[in-house]
Amino acid sequence: MPSTLHPLTSLTAAGCTAVITTAAGLWPLSVAVALAAALLAVGAGVGRRVLAAAVAVLVPLGLSLLMLHGLFFPEGRTVLAAWGPARVTAEGLSFALEAGTRTGACVLVLLLFSFTVSAPDLVAALAARGLPPQVGFVLASALTLLPAMTGRLAAIRAAQEARGLVVGRGLLSRLAAVRLQAVPLVLGLVEDAGVRAQALEARSFGTPGPRTSYRQLQDSPGQRVFRAAAVLLTAAAVALRLITAWPVAP
Amino acid sequence: MNDGSHAPSRQPATAALPAAAARIASFSFHGDAGQTLRNVQLSALPGTLTAVLGGSGSGKTTFGKLLAGWLRAGHSGVLRGSLALGADRVEFHGNSNDPRINPAAWSGRAGYVPQDAGAMLSSVRSTVAEELAFGLENRGVPRVEMIRQAARTAERTGLSGLMGRNPAQLSGGELRRLAVACAVIAEPGVLVLDEPLASLDAAGAAQLRNLVDGLLDAGTAVVLLSQRADALARSAGHWIVLDGGTVTAEGPPAEVEEGAAFSDAGIVAEGRGAASPGTRPAPAAPAAPVLELRGVGFGYGTTTRTTKRSAGTARPAPVLHNLNLTVRPGEIVAVTGPNGAGKSTLLRHLNGLLQPQTGEVLLAGKSIAGIPTGRVACTVGLLFQQPRDQLFERTVLREVGFGLRRLAGGETAAGRALEALAAVGLADAAQTHPAELPSSKQRLLALATVLARTPAVLALDEPTVGLDRYGIERLQHAVAAAAARGAGIVLVTHDLAYARATAHRVLALDGGSLREI
Amino acid sequence: MSLQSLLLPATGAGSAAGKTKAQRNRRLLELGGAAAIVATYLFLVLTQPADIASGPASFAALVALGGFLLGAVLLIAAALPTLPTPTLVLMPVALVLNVVLGQLMGATGLPFYVDAIGTVLIAVLAGPAAGAATGALSTIVWSFFNPTVLPFAAGAALIGFLAGLAARGGLFRRFYLAPVAGFVTGILAGVVSAPIAAFVFGGTAGLGTGAVVSAFRAMGDTLLAAITKQALISDPMDKAIVFAIAALLVYALPRRTTFQFAFVRTFRVLAGMSPATPESQPQTQPESQPESQPETQPEA
Repeated sequence: MPSTLHPLTSLTAAGCTAVITTAAGLWPLSVAVALAAALLAVGAGVGRRVLAAAVAVLVPLGLSLLMLHGLFFPEGRTVLAAWGPARVTAEGLSFALEAGTRTGACVLVLLLFSFTVSAPDLVAALAARGLPPQVGFVLASALTLLPAMTGRLAAIRAAQEARGLVVGRGLLSRLAAVRLQAVPLVLGLVEDAGVRAQALEARSFGTPGPRTSYRQLQDSPGQRVFRAAAVLLTAAAVALRLITAWPVAP
Repeated sequence: MNDGSHAPSRQPATAALPAAAARIASFSFHGDAGQTLRNVQLSALPGTLTAVLGGSGSGKTTFGKLLAGWLRAGHSGVLRGSLALGADRVEFHGNSNDPRINPAAWSGRAGYVPQDAGAMLSSVRSTVAEELAFGLENRGVPRVEMIRQAARTAERTGLSGLMGRNPAQLSGGELRRLAVACAVIAEPGVLVLDEPLASLDAAGAAQLRNLVDGLLDAGTAVVLLSQRADALARSAGHWIVLDGGTVTAEGPPAEVEEGAAFSDAGIVAEGRGAASPGTRPAPAAPAAPVLELRGVGFGYGTTTRTTKRSAGTARPAPVLHNLNLTVRPGEIVAVTGPNGAGKSTLLRHLNGLLQPQTGEVLLAGKSIAGIPTGRVACTVGLLFQQPRDQLFERTVLREVGFGLRRLAGGETAAGRALEALAAVGLADAAQTHPAELPSSKQRLLALATVLARTPAVLALDEPTVGLDRYGIERLQHAVAAAAARGAGIVLVTHDLAYARATAHRVLALDGGSLREI
Repeated sequence: MSLQSLLLPATGAGSAAGKTKAQRNRRLLELGGAAAIVATYLFLVLTQPADIASGPASFAALVALGGFLLGAVLLIAAALPTLPTPTLVLMPVALVLNVVLGQLMGATGLPFYVDAIGTVLIAVLAGPAAGAATGALSTIVWSFFNPTVLPFAAGAALIGFLAGLAARGGLFRRFYLAPVAGFVTGILAGVVSAPIAAFVFGGTAGLGTGAVVSAFRAMGDTLLAAITKQALISDPMDKAIVFAIAALLVYALPRRTTFQFAFVRTFRVLAGMSPATPESQPQTQPESQPESQPETQPEA
């Protein structure tokens, strides 16, 4: 479900939350932010998609961190258990907790943003703020092409199966299948891109100069104030963290 | 010069001044040894329809794109000759001092609509209205003016009711009209249409025809590129026949059609008696069927096998419902129906790419349920519409030989591959890269890859689309030869005339099942 | 006037001054971007020992994020305006290929995360600037689905840039040289990306890589050193495979397609792919004579 906020408002909110959480570096805050993002996602009707994407990223990362810092943290002093070279230390566990929750919060907040924002709105909003049209094009075009690719790959696979292609179980056989499927895919995409480039140039895409936009976005003074405030707050948080933690030469 | 003030002052319309004129002495692509075009001239007066006809690979598309600034001298290749829009003429000598065309400004006065209409779209706009406005946005047209122009163009092209739709979800005919609309919104004096009717059904073709008539009435010069001399081409005042990159005949249609150059060029002459229907004797009835469909039912969104996304609303009506079909050895069966009737869905059941939800598919009396498609393919050869999805090798010969060795053994395989290539007329192209063949030959190559496996059942999806006359002849021969050796053939087409001319039986797919017509 | 408006301005002396100025600005952006990345890297490497023991590297995370993202943005800003529309249209294609080919390779069960095939392919066809912009931009787009890749944008840009340089240097003319170029690229990219993994995420995203890092940590390495060593084990191999696959694909494409790209023509990127023009000239230094048609030289 697309959000009713101006896309820059949700972008600012997500970006600033992620940066402030990183700057604060407090795991209770990180957990709170992650929970809030998850609840908002459920409320916006994208809970399942956001959580699925987050789990795919965070579970391997979390386990990796737990294994890495939970068992091996040479800097740790408070040893809780030890098996040979592996030492479970309180410092290591707290490091893993801090790092894991911080990343978890940022991932959930940013996924909440990307799964609720309307990509065309976002591109239009960024273009209106002076983002080069090329960036908007690459962003929007990639987001349209990606879902279409599943269908295209399925069509290629079907066409090749109809020619009698049987993918075996061995590694070599599967590698060969990758090549057979990749060649028509790459060739088709590159050829399409060639024609599309001609079409875009004919439709004045490369022309320098001012542009206008058909799509109009709703913005409000309240949202503008909120964005300015969020950016200021974030800047303050970052500055504070940089000043307090600036490494002093020994 | 690029500051937005490029709208040229319109010349006072003198009766004799063509909207566009081209005199191409030669054009060759970068990296190509040969010349793609030689001595091609065209002059299109406002409000007239000119048809550039030619077989596959004759250079029609290259010519059209040069005229409309999609291919540019120096940028895409080496051009010698001149191009003119109205009173403005540009000369090219094939060296680095040549003028460089500004594609944006040029296409404001000469529009081009590619055969693959989807390629015209920006792919970054989520509604038809925004897609239409894309070019205007780039030129900085004020929003109020932009909305007005988009609405006006939508009305001219019959898109008014579709403005809020996602361009990715349009039908073939609607997509073609949107592509035309994207070109005409800039009000070009000349519009080049590349195979505008290809793979459109009767309704889609009629709507496009109306659109072209409207443009002609409004004074636009329309240049039609086509390998079929169809009704639209026959309404042109002037024909130019391209063959091997050069003009072999031109003049009024009636005159050109009588000449030898016309028949040599590989143009499909619609409405001329091609193969005579019903002359082929139907095969002896008693033979056991090679292919049998019994009570097959299928609907998207209700199966585990398909990945097509359902619309998310109510469950769609089944595409196939209690469908029965029996094909005997040597029999050619044609299935017709409008776009979206489920013809391709039916074809995908024949080799197990789709599994029926009810009923069963029998090959030589045995059900194919549960057998992987790759194995069924030994018995059923299925040819898809889009040849490039099927091709993946570096040379034509390797392409046809792929997998044959396992099927037939080394010696036989090589012989069969060459035989299949000869059958479709590609024997001399054995070492070419498949992607460098013209589209008609790519389809024939895909056909050859299927023929080389000598399948018991041959299933063809819209086999005539994109084929020139030579291609269609090769196809006819190949189909007849396969039938003669006892293969059962099912072909799916929206072209009723072709179906009647080729098949022993013509069936219509209607309401999910087949009936004789 | 209306004829002039149909044409592009000639590349004569008139526009030369403006052009050099634009070029200088671009050069400044490029240098700024590279400087931001190098400075961030050095700063992190030099200050990290004090930081890691005193808890999670909140400060280092901010510095790493800020510095590397600033560098990536500057590099994109420098490269984008130079890219012609045909290259630009390929960039979303590269991203799609990164994802789709990565998934296809994932299905083979090989223990590598080949996620840069599209970037390398574009770099080979369109050059270092296109490669760098593709790498960075495709990371930004991919972060819509996996935000943790965002900080690695600078590393992805480096991979694209180096692949383009390798192509320009002729390393894709011989098939066995492509993986070598990939290997070297992997070393550099791995080293540059290690501080991100160490300071922003505190570790690596996968269990397998995590195990390798653990082994180095068990030997008493600092986190950054351990992750850098892990990257030096897996990244060069990974990039060698990526470069080899990209080379395989680029040679499977027909000549007409690869020759559309001026970069391929000008720098004779691919072997045996020169046009069979009758007026074949003796071999020339491609950089000095971009218009020359190199002679046919089939691979031995």
